[in-house]
Amino acid sequence: MNVIQESMKNIRASEELKRNTLHYLDRQKKRAMPGKVWRYAAVAACLFLFLTAGGFRLYAKPVSYISIDVNPSIELGINRFGRVVSADAYNADGQDILEHVKLKNMSYSQAIDKLLQSEDYAVYLTEGSHLVFTVISEHSDSIMQKLNEEEQSLEYRVSTYTSDMTCREEAHRHQMSFGKYRACQELTQYDETVTIEDCHGMTMGEICDHIRTCKRYRHGRSWNGNSRNGNSGNSNSGSSGSGDGNLENGSWGNGGDQCKGRGRHHGRHHGNGY
Amino acid sequence: MKSEEDLNRAMEAYADMVRRICFVHLKNKYDTEDIFQNVYLKYLLHEKAFESHEHEKSWFARVTINACKDQLRYLSRRKWMPLDVMKEEAEAISGAQSEVLETVLKLPEKYRNVIYLYYYEEYSAVEIAKILGRKENTIYTWLMRAKEMLRGKLGGEWA
Repeated sequence: MNVIQESMKNIRASEELKRNTLHYLDRQKKRAMPGKVWRYAAVAACLFLFLTAGGFRLYAKPVSYISIDVNPSIELGINRFGRVVSADAYNADGQDILEHVKLKNMSYSQAIDKLLQSEDYAVYLTEGSHLVFTVISEHSDSIMQKLNEEEQSLEYRVSTYTSDMTCREEAHRHQMSFGKYRACQELTQYDETVTIEDCHGMTMGEICDHIRTCKRYRHGRSWNGNSRNGNSGNSNSGSSGSGDGNLENGSWGNGGDQCKGRGRHHGRHHGNGY
Repeated sequence: MKSEEDLNRAMEAYADMVRRICFVHLKNKYDTEDIFQNVYLKYLLHEKAFESHEHEKSWFARVTINACKDQLRYLSRRKWMPLDVMKEEAEAISGAQSEVLETVLKLPEKYRNVIYLYYYEEYSAVEIAKILGRKENTIYTWLMRAKEMLRGKLGGEWA
């Protein structure tokens, strides 16, 4: 042992010093704890807000649209859970109805039931009126099937079609629901003299009647060998048509115009009428 | 954060060394208590694992020396105090030893560190260089000068 070691051998940390230090550290730890708890609480709160906001966005984002047109034009936005998250009217009649009938946050089939059974709507569902559902969705088939199951009215005519988002944007540029816009596009295919502006003033019943008349006329011509642009050979896709069903149903407008995806629509007709 | 167990073990293993480094630098037990709290709090919050006991020990030496420096800078007090102020130790120190100690304590701070680490903890100059963050040659020079000073004061019996 050298001199330095010898001289310092009695210099040691007293038990008191060690104890005091450990006590101090204990107090520090305890004091640090609440901070940590708060930090976790803050993180949890942020996470909660984040998830809630994310969940709400997920809920509030429509993934499908159903346009319901008779004369009132109403578009329902439907989220991924099948709930109505937006309901917009595209003409004065629709506006009026939506003021009285609240459709948000119910399943779309309930919402449609409620809408069709409301007094305000019943006014428009008379004999001769034509109720058209137009669907934009990745799962349009299942939605249309559901609509078909539910709507079994015999008093007015019902059709279902599909459309797509491009058409919807175009329709909104013309201040029109995409359901009505689709019908107008179909009409202009047959009758070039009709403009979109003309359609604003027409009910769906009138538009559909007009289309039918034109089709009948064209069929008449094609039977006489005067087919205009080969459009007459309708391939009846999924049609449940009654009577001369291919007038109402099936593909139309394959003539390559601006609104795509139209070739794929189904028509259904409760035919007590023509 | 270190566990209770680690803390107790470190307290047993290094408290004496920390205490002696404090003794070399500081003059009263309140400062020493502050250093203990600082050093062990740092240890408690030290997240990285130590490679070995040797590593851990040199960590303690380095942290304690730095804490002492900070403390002195903070206090700006006298650099040393007569041994009789430190009653606890004074009682335990006999005549010949107190002479050595007092001589060591009167050395400049940097020499006190190397003398303590070299003679008491028996670290090599290379290790001391690492602990103090200096070049090895600096340590050799300091050691040589410190030895000369001690020899001059304590006479021939100094190793």
